[in-house]
Amino acid sequence: MELFLMSLVNGILVGGVYALVALGWVLIYKCSGVLNLAMGELTLIGAYVTLTFYQAGIPFILSIICTLIIGIILGILVERVFLDKLIGEPILAVIMVTVGLSFFFKGIIEFIWETKTRVFSPPIFPLEPISIGFIKISNVYLWSFVLAILLFLIFAAFFKYSHWGLAMQATADDETAALSLGVSARFVYAAAWAIAFMSAGVGGALLGNINGINISVGYLGLLVLPAVVLGGLNSIPGAILGGITVGVLQNLSGTYLDHYFPGGVKEVFPFAFMTVFLLFKPYGFWGWERIERM
Amino acid sequence: MSHVWLPCGLYHQEYEEDHGWWQTPLIKGKMILLLAIIFVGFPLTLTGYWFGVANMVGYTALGALGVQLLIGYAGLITLGHAAFIAVGAYTSTLLILQFPWPQFFIDLGLAYPISIVIAGIVAGLWSVLFGLPSAKVKGFYLILTTMAAQFITVDFLITQYISQIGGRGQAFSVPPGTIKIGPWTIDSEIKTYFLVIVLLTLCIIMVTNLLRSKVGRAWIAIRDNDIAAETLGINIIWYKLLNFFVAGFIAGLAGAFWVSNTAAISPEHFPWFWSLWLVGVVLIGGVGSIHGVIFGSIFMVLVMEVIQLGVISLGDVFPQLMIKFLYIKESVFGLAICAFLIFEPRGLSYRWWQIKNYFNLWPFSY
Amino acid sequence: MAILLLTTPTPAYRPRSRAINRPRAGQAGSPSPIDRERERGRGRGRGKFKKGVMHVIRWWEKRNQSVTALIFYSTSYRRRTMRIKFFTIILTLLIFSTSSIFAQEIKIGGLTDCTGATSDVGKDYALGLAEAFNYVNDTGGINGKKIKYTWFDYGYRIPEAITKYNFLKRMGVIAVEGWGTGDTEALSPTVFKDKMPYVSASFSAHLTNPTKTAYNLFFAPDYSTQGRAVLTTWFETRWPKHKDYGKRKPRFACVYAFPSPYASAPIKAIKDHATMLGFEVGDDQDVALTSMDTKSQIMGLQKFKPDVCWHGNTTMCVSATVRDAYALGLGADWLVNYWGEDENLPKLAGKAAEGAMVAGPAYFFADDRGKMKLVHDYAAKYNPGIPAKDRIKFTVTAWANVLLLREALTRADKAGDLTGEGILKKGFETLKDYVILDGGLGTSPVTFTSTDHRTTGIVPVYELRGEKFNYVKTIDVKARWPEKWAKEWFGW
Repeated sequence: MELFLMSLVNGILVGGVYALVALGWVLIYKCSGVLNLAMGELTLIGAYVTLTFYQAGIPFILSIICTLIIGIILGILVERVFLDKLIGEPILAVIMVTVGLSFFFKGIIEFIWETKTRVFSPPIFPLEPISIGFIKISNVYLWSFVLAILLFLIFAAFFKYSHWGLAMQATADDETAALSLGVSARFVYAAAWAIAFMSAGVGGALLGNINGINISVGYLGLLVLPAVVLGGLNSIPGAILGGITVGVLQNLSGTYLDHYFPGGVKEVFPFAFMTVFLLFKPYGFWGWERIERM
Repeated sequence: MSHVWLPCGLYHQEYEEDHGWWQTPLIKGKMILLLAIIFVGFPLTLTGYWFGVANMVGYTALGALGVQLLIGYAGLITLGHAAFIAVGAYTSTLLILQFPWPQFFIDLGLAYPISIVIAGIVAGLWSVLFGLPSAKVKGFYLILTTMAAQFITVDFLITQYISQIGGRGQAFSVPPGTIKIGPWTIDSEIKTYFLVIVLLTLCIIMVTNLLRSKVGRAWIAIRDNDIAAETLGINIIWYKLLNFFVAGFIAGLAGAFWVSNTAAISPEHFPWFWSLWLVGVVLIGGVGSIHGVIFGSIFMVLVMEVIQLGVISLGDVFPQLMIKFLYIKESVFGLAICAFLIFEPRGLSYRWWQIKNYFNLWPFSY
Repeated sequence: MAILLLTTPTPAYRPRSRAINRPRAGQAGSPSPIDRERERGRGRGRGKFKKGVMHVIRWWEKRNQSVTALIFYSTSYRRRTMRIKFFTIILTLLIFSTSSIFAQEIKIGGLTDCTGATSDVGKDYALGLAEAFNYVNDTGGINGKKIKYTWFDYGYRIPEAITKYNFLKRMGVIAVEGWGTGDTEALSPTVFKDKMPYVSASFSAHLTNPTKTAYNLFFAPDYSTQGRAVLTTWFETRWPKHKDYGKRKPRFACVYAFPSPYASAPIKAIKDHATMLGFEVGDDQDVALTSMDTKSQIMGLQKFKPDVCWHGNTTMCVSATVRDAYALGLGADWLVNYWGEDENLPKLAGKAAEGAMVAGPAYFFADDRGKMKLVHDYAAKYNPGIPAKDRIKFTVTAWANVLLLREALTRADKAGDLTGEGILKKGFETLKDYVILDGGLGTSPVTFTSTDHRTTGIVPVYELRGEKFNYVKTIDVKARWPEKWAKEWFGW
């Protein structure tokens, strides 16, 4: 029982960070229809930018805010330079362009920041775990989760109460109608990418605290995909819950299923689960049931 | 079905001529010349390194052929093809190493060819297994299930279970001399070259025939509008699964060939990156065309070589910056893919088709 | 061009499309209004260079109504100029690719990983190789002949490693400095067939059997020997101070990436050694090389309550594991594989990595003993952009491998035989108790025989205290268990 609760809690906490990255992904998809396979590299960029600011002496929270600003700028740039030209192209070309982008970003990151593992020094979160009852949680996970929730609330407020947020929601709902009402589709695309960069960036900075920043932090970008599938491609609360589900699935499978298999279940289980899940519920938990002609 | 641009004065008077592969004397001449160059000319003129390049091109083309079938002719986007190649490679290796062949099989050198065929069939069936979700899901979800296929197969099943058979380390190095086809032992570059071009030619013939037939027409119908195809009585699920099977079969052949190219295999040879690479080859060559596959493979392999050479030469000039250049190589490569897709979305085969039509329509080519 | 012209028959005729009517990739159908809108405002070029180029093109066009027309007039102006630029760049690159100068030179090739999955440890190794070869050339090369060292980064993409190896072969290299278990194992049958000495950074014991892998060579004791030595050191130095010493058997478990050949290479040997010394051996835990969260594996270990654990992966993973172990209060000592503990570990894991033990077949980078000053000087000279505190011990490993190769080449050259087999038989296999750089790099004496490629059984063991690596003791595995070393422990 104790083991189960500990895995569950750890899973939820880690899942919070996955959910943050998934949020950005779903946003891009909802607003502009682009399936973004470069999510891992966006996470990396955010992580490294935060690191650079932090090592220049700026306190952590301020570094995160600076990362947000840089994320906005980068998001708009990428959208204008690469993705504008692909409006109207079939889906496969767009996916491959994001793949090409991921290689491009990877090369640029390695060029600027080298491949050595870097750490936030002095460490931001203490190493000792916090004990809640008999459950030990390490500080990093707890604060990452808190920060992720905070960002969700900020985004939710943005979407619900601000003018631009409503415009984005309208475009995501029905693009032609929104265009007819005077919403600028290009602005919405740029904003979607900007928000994706921001959320992935903060997610990366938080994950980088766990174990140092290295190129392999980018591999977690792959885990975003089962998360969004489980939650439904079109739904933002779905993305959040999908991310948490993936975190929980990973931890529970790692704890319990590792005995039955030689090993390596943890990485693969979310994908296997997703495949089986899709056979029963092809649109995820909250996805729109629409026959999509791809 | 004659889709060939017939010149003036050439009439077909028999149905066989109309259905023929090569319908004009010019085409016959070109094709025979091409085959002569590939089968006779290259082996006589090339050196060792270029055979290695040709083997890579052939391997890429075999892999991309399967992907082209899935993407270009049935509209099923797949990002997990390297898994099926891996299945083929491991099946073939295990059959060669572990299966107790009767002695006369080994003497006659039949073990490897049989293992190639079986590897193809097994890979095809495995591909069908992961194609089953396509009965229910489409588009992006299919992409994800094929990605899941890649991870589950390579990162989990093969890495954890299959590669442990026989112990680690030396298990999947094939001792030299084991791979024999008939009386020839495949152990040098030139022999693998012959193997790959024979395989490639056979596969292309098979695929083109399939595409000319009812099956191919059904696939194109599914690609263009699957709901309409269903209403016309085409059994979509059957044809989709058939497509997965054929694509997997060709991937199995590619995997079995890979074993003879490098006499050792491990799961690291078939990463997700390779699946993406194959899709890139198909896109750059042109979706929906077979010679696009060949162009795409040649282009990708040569571009990688040229960039490497360029980086090395520049590295000689600026040795301090050598490592930095390597990173630039990565980003240049990514940028090249993006640029290609933005500026040449129809791929190399489209350009090729334009050039050919220019000649065909001259002097009215405008 | 000839090849391009000879292919399968022309497909069915489709309407000649100008850019404006261009359907999209892989789809039939007509363009939407948005596409036409996009096409309209393209390419109004200005500028003298472009005008000049267009002038040339028009002249050429007038001369030949040919393919040029098709390529250069089928689409918009902007596309044309982009293509011209693109081809110019390609041509320049091709012109720059010159082949090497054929002098009295010995060519050596290198395959490294600077951008791929193991690049965090691979890059320093690659830099070390380059610097060491510079040192060799500065001190007279091989009996006066200079070494031309060409290396490629293959990014842990194995197919690329194979093509690069073929390229190096074509260039005429006589030996290759390889990298990790991936490329070494993939190329092992090929180098055996080609008789190409392949000095690797992978110290797997599976590579020490000359009947199977005669041409795979390295200077250090193999991973299994290192593991045995480190376990013995723990058993003799830490276990006696434990509160349960004498009351029960110590408990031992392994944590590593099951499918990785590097990580799993020494496991069988270490568990066998543990049983021999009297440990109680628990279940292995699987931790992937790129894992960041290992809590569930640590929780699995906690049920067994081990006193000491062996970690077989690389530094990133080790630091994740020890941090999680510290957070969950596992309370076990850690013994780490060679590529899992370097100067980065204390920076990544802080207090959690305190007391971790590792084998040290060569000095750590910050060490000042012996001839380490040479290493520091060359590092500062050839890679000044990387501060010395950021360099790690794998540079020294690279130096040791290079100097081993240099000695073998020198001996083979003196015997007049620089073929692959000659380098092996008259170079490597004549090395008996040879000390690299007279012990200046902290390596043990190296011996190759024609039946045994295990270089040495002497393993110094270090532990991590504060941010420094303290020397604990040296175990000579070969001298302690000579009969087992000779027969039973050979090759795994």
